[in-house]
Amino acid sequence: MDNKDKQKMAEWSITARTQWWGRDWKEIWNYQNLLFGLVQREFLLYYKQTLLGPIWMLLQPILTLLIYLAVFGKLVGISTGTIPPILFYLSGIILWNFFSEGFSGTSKIFQDNIQLFSKVYFPRIILPLSVLFVQGLRFLIQFTFLIILIGGYVLFNDLSINFNAGTFSIPVIILFTGVMGLAFGICCSLLTAKYRDLGNIIPTGIRLLMFLTPVIYPVSGTPENLRWLVFWNPLTPLFEAFKFALLGEGTFTMVQLSYSMICAFVFLLIGFASFNKHGDNLIDVV
Amino acid sequence: MSAILKVENVSKVYQLGQTNTGTLKKDLHRWWAVNVQKKEDPFAIESYPNNTQSDTLWALKDISFEVNQGDILGIVGSNGSGKSTLLKILSRIVRPTSGTVRGKGKVNSLLEIGTGFNWDLTGRENIFISGYFLGMKKQEIQQCFDEIVAFSGVERFIDTPVKHYSSGMYMRLAFSVAAHLEPDILIVDEVLAVGDAEFQTKCLKKMEEASHLQGRTILFVSHDAQVVSNLCHKALWLDKGEIRENGETQRVVDCYLASLKEKEVAQVRPENAESTIQVKSMAVTALGKSQDQVILVHDPIEIQIELSCFTEGFNIEVGLALNTQDGTCVFDLGSPTIKAEVGEIYYTMQIPEDLLNAHKYTISLMIHKSNAPAILEFKNLTTFEIQDFRERLSYFGSRQGIIRPRVQVELLAKMKRTNKNPL
Repeated sequence: MDNKDKQKMAEWSITARTQWWGRDWKEIWNYQNLLFGLVQREFLLYYKQTLLGPIWMLLQPILTLLIYLAVFGKLVGISTGTIPPILFYLSGIILWNFFSEGFSGTSKIFQDNIQLFSKVYFPRIILPLSVLFVQGLRFLIQFTFLIILIGGYVLFNDLSINFNAGTFSIPVIILFTGVMGLAFGICCSLLTAKYRDLGNIIPTGIRLLMFLTPVIYPVSGTPENLRWLVFWNPLTPLFEAFKFALLGEGTFTMVQLSYSMICAFVFLLIGFASFNKHGDNLIDVV
Repeated sequence: MSAILKVENVSKVYQLGQTNTGTLKKDLHRWWAVNVQKKEDPFAIESYPNNTQSDTLWALKDISFEVNQGDILGIVGSNGSGKSTLLKILSRIVRPTSGTVRGKGKVNSLLEIGTGFNWDLTGRENIFISGYFLGMKKQEIQQCFDEIVAFSGVERFIDTPVKHYSSGMYMRLAFSVAAHLEPDILIVDEVLAVGDAEFQTKCLKKMEEASHLQGRTILFVSHDAQVVSNLCHKALWLDKGEIRENGETQRVVDCYLASLKEKEVAQVRPENAESTIQVKSMAVTALGKSQDQVILVHDPIEIQIELSCFTEGFNIEVGLALNTQDGTCVFDLGSPTIKAEVGEIYYTMQIPEDLLNAHKYTISLMIHKSNAPAILEFKNLTTFEIQDFRERLSYFGSRQGIIRPRVQVELLAKMKRTNKNPL
């Protein structure tokens, strides 16, 4: 009891100085209920007052898939290698959505939540994390649908899939794609909060980035002399590895994959540190 | 009794003006100077000579005070005095520009009612999410969920989206969540300004209970001097970012109110286009008290008017109308007619004690000249406020009505009904 009282009356202090690494991790842990509450809220809000409800989570990528099939498959005629176009596009779309929604969601975190930030204290990092978790859950639902679809192809269309060592690395690839989106997002969130201009550039930037990422085309289909441009993008090896592990076709090397992972990690460190250092001061500016 | 919260030399400076290319230039300049050239920050706050710099605003300036455990500290001050900034710093929403705040235990702040509430979610879902935002655990909310709902009185609508609630219900539900927090230090902004009188009383009682029984420390900001003096043990008066008074509630609140009064009485318009007659001064005081003392409900009120007359040969009659702030006339009265002479004319009028309620009133003057059709009218010449200082009562809200005569209330008999109602 005495011990509990002491713990409850923990001392704290507020000063002008903010730190790069001084984050109180225990505090974030204490707010885990808020994190999961926010994830739950997003899901609840997602289908409030809709007729189809959670089905939209699957309908969205399917509609995109149909458009890509028509435009890039039939009109432009981009080759998808030996992989059936539906599986090729869908796997690209859901992984891309996971990244881009996480990225754009976290990059607007200050502007979207200023009402909250200026009225109540909680560890600010909870909000970007909740965006990542929401997108992660959405991705898992879509991913399950993709797996079922692949299963269907294997059973009825004689698609042969070789399970390779890469199959087990799928969770790691997904994790790093999400981390990349989060990392880019927090880095940008700090800048967009102060300079709104960036808020206008980001959606365009994301669309451009998509064309530099093998979402609608395989790397093997790009001209040799332009391939460096695609591989300069740290997302490329992740996408190729994802398709390789899932569908057995993809062009990447272990060095390139390591480059992606290091990139994601470094951006995450920069993002977290700057968020710690500057996040509190931004409330005055937004 | 030890200090649970210590504020040491806290200042907060805001940059005025817009964020634009100038800001980026400054930011880059600063970054270059500090990180590359290893020089001092050219835009550091210390480098400003003082607050004369036109593009900075000192919202708080070198504030220091202590709060003991179990105290209720009332913070008063006019708009822009830095009350909200102080609360935001104490609740960790913004960082001070300099200085330190030290404290012990869990802090919760209520700067707004319904933080984290979502329009589309039901009452039940909102209770949980806003509880999480306020730092509560799922278990804690589940434990007092029924209590929260009962306190708010919206049982029937708990599974309806809050967008269908009336604003009163919304407020009650939002406050109820906050009322069941169990922090060591509770910071409350003027959230109580909303909601009906009954609910306000309920909330204030709950706050007093928390402080009294559970040793909770409360910091409470309000415009309502009445509530502060009834509820708080100590008070702090902020004025333009600085502490003017700090200490025993009644003294601080009196000083604060007196300062408001000074400003109001000084509003007499000295010049008028009419050159025949002018209002030289006008003063409203409690009878037998000085200008800067507060007028209470139980004081007789004296109005002194001084006119300057520049011509002769007509009769003057002065009329006075006392209005409430919303323009309702409480009464008007006229003076006896006199012959005008060059010089000064003095009037004094007395309003009896126990007549007007605690409100703000304005006085308008009308001067009738007998042989000229013109009527000089001075609208809202002076504003004054009557304060209501009652002994500690269980009722915190203010009395309704424009007048408040002393009415004899006597209890004649108290009978217990024994047999059943014949109906």
